[in-house]
Amino acid sequence: MLTAVKNQGRVSFLSIKYALMQEMLNRVTFFTNILFMILNNASFIIQWIVLYSIQNNVGGYTFKQILLLWGIAAGTYGFSHFFFENAYDLSQIINEGKLDAYLVQPKNVLLSSITSKVKTSALGDIFYGYIMCFFAGLGVVDILLFTILSIIGGITLTAIAVLLGSLSFWFQKADMIAESGNGFMTNFATYPDGIFKGIVKVLLFTLIPVGIVNYLPISILTEHKVEFFFLIFLFMIAIVFFAFFLFYRGLKRYSSSNLMSMRI
Amino acid sequence: MRKYLFIYKSEVMSSLQYLANILFGFLGYFIMLFIFFQLWKYLYSDPDSVMNGYTMAEMVWYVIMTEILWSTLGGKNLCQKISNDVKSGNIAYNLCKPYSYIHYALFSHLGSITIKAVLYTLLGLVLGFCFLGEFPNISFLSILLWIISSIGSLAISSLFVIFIGLFSFKIEDANPFYWVYSKFILILGTIFPIEFFPKILRPILRYSPIFATTYGPANLFVHFSFQNAFRVLIAQFIYLGIAYVLCYFVYQKGVKKLNVNGG
Repeated sequence: MLTAVKNQGRVSFLSIKYALMQEMLNRVTFFTNILFMILNNASFIIQWIVLYSIQNNVGGYTFKQILLLWGIAAGTYGFSHFFFENAYDLSQIINEGKLDAYLVQPKNVLLSSITSKVKTSALGDIFYGYIMCFFAGLGVVDILLFTILSIIGGITLTAIAVLLGSLSFWFQKADMIAESGNGFMTNFATYPDGIFKGIVKVLLFTLIPVGIVNYLPISILTEHKVEFFFLIFLFMIAIVFFAFFLFYRGLKRYSSSNLMSMRI
Repeated sequence: MRKYLFIYKSEVMSSLQYLANILFGFLGYFIMLFIFFQLWKYLYSDPDSVMNGYTMAEMVWYVIMTEILWSTLGGKNLCQKISNDVKSGNIAYNLCKPYSYIHYALFSHLGSITIKAVLYTLLGLVLGFCFLGEFPNISFLSILLWIISSIGSLAISSLFVIFIGLFSFKIEDANPFYWVYSKFILILGTIFPIEFFPKILRPILRYSPIFATTYGPANLFVHFSFQNAFRVLIAQFIYLGIAYVLCYFVYQKGVKKLNVNGG
């Protein structure tokens, strides 16, 4: 069992490594993507500077907490999109019959398919997360905690993308649902939860779990609430199991399109 | 001009086939408007108070109008299309055709977003009414001038995106440049009116493309005056010329160096 996990880990690592090497073929484009993604994210700071010039506190968040919220949002998004970019294209892969290539590999089909592509600009998001930590004045221990929280959040985001993408095994137009669902997760992620009330707030901690991926980590980082850490960790385990279950349940319905293509 | 109108018409007809995609796009548009409505509701603890010359209702209508322009534009897809045309060599097929590639790209894109623009405007008005419980008090003439300035805004924005997409002649992937340009427009022109920025920045923003593409048309809807309308239309006329000239020079320079292998 342990050897199988170790082997799978090695294969996934190699898959990501070769995908990254392919992206690095054009160095100028590679570094431009990373740098411009950092600039792209940084531009939103202007929005918050303007808002904090109106009020000292927006939705119960101080400016430092907003920086951390952006850090966590960028870190989780970056981790998920860099290592598991294909999780966001899963609908397309299923609809176009491109799973064939992974079915013949003697390894985990889901992990092989979602780790076969990296998104270079997501590295910019990861770096931006750490830049925000620096400006928010986090110490070394908190930066380590931030890293762990970004990984947990990134895996949770990936599991959500797999869940939504797996719907394509049952529904033809599920790609639109997946795109909208993943969009919800990023749209809400950079606004403080204090501005939302009632049913919307409940949804943000349940059906659209932005609260678990983004808001609770802020409480952990600023107030060191350990119980929240266990909560988000358990949520990650549960949603990952559910994602694997739904994907393999759907895989039984998968039919090949006899697509002939070359993968480089 | 007739051939470009034909291209425009064909794209409008073609976009009707993808109504489901447009309708799903509503979800993202709705969420963004909902978030901004919640944000401004929180900041305006008293809805009748005035912040930098805007009441809460005016602020929400301003954001709705700018979001209509922003969501309709679909700049990311346009930039990718131009960039892919250059990278794949598709652009070479246009060299032997009796039309200008820039005109073709502009009219086909405007055609592909026309239905979306109408639907997003209707949805924006309905959402604004649902959020605030009333429509702003505006005349027929101001609506007409707002529509004209919005068309101008979309044409200028499309040309600027084409200009960025044509960077692919120089650098393989032009998308990063589009991210920065789009965020510049989003942050400085869509989320807030110019009056919310420090006094020192306001004159710069008034002379920037933001005035012609987002602030100007949206402000016409919220604070209409003939003087304002005249300023916006003049600014749009100037920026339309600037954006076209920029596209023309980048295209002319790039196409001379075009090297396509195979066929």
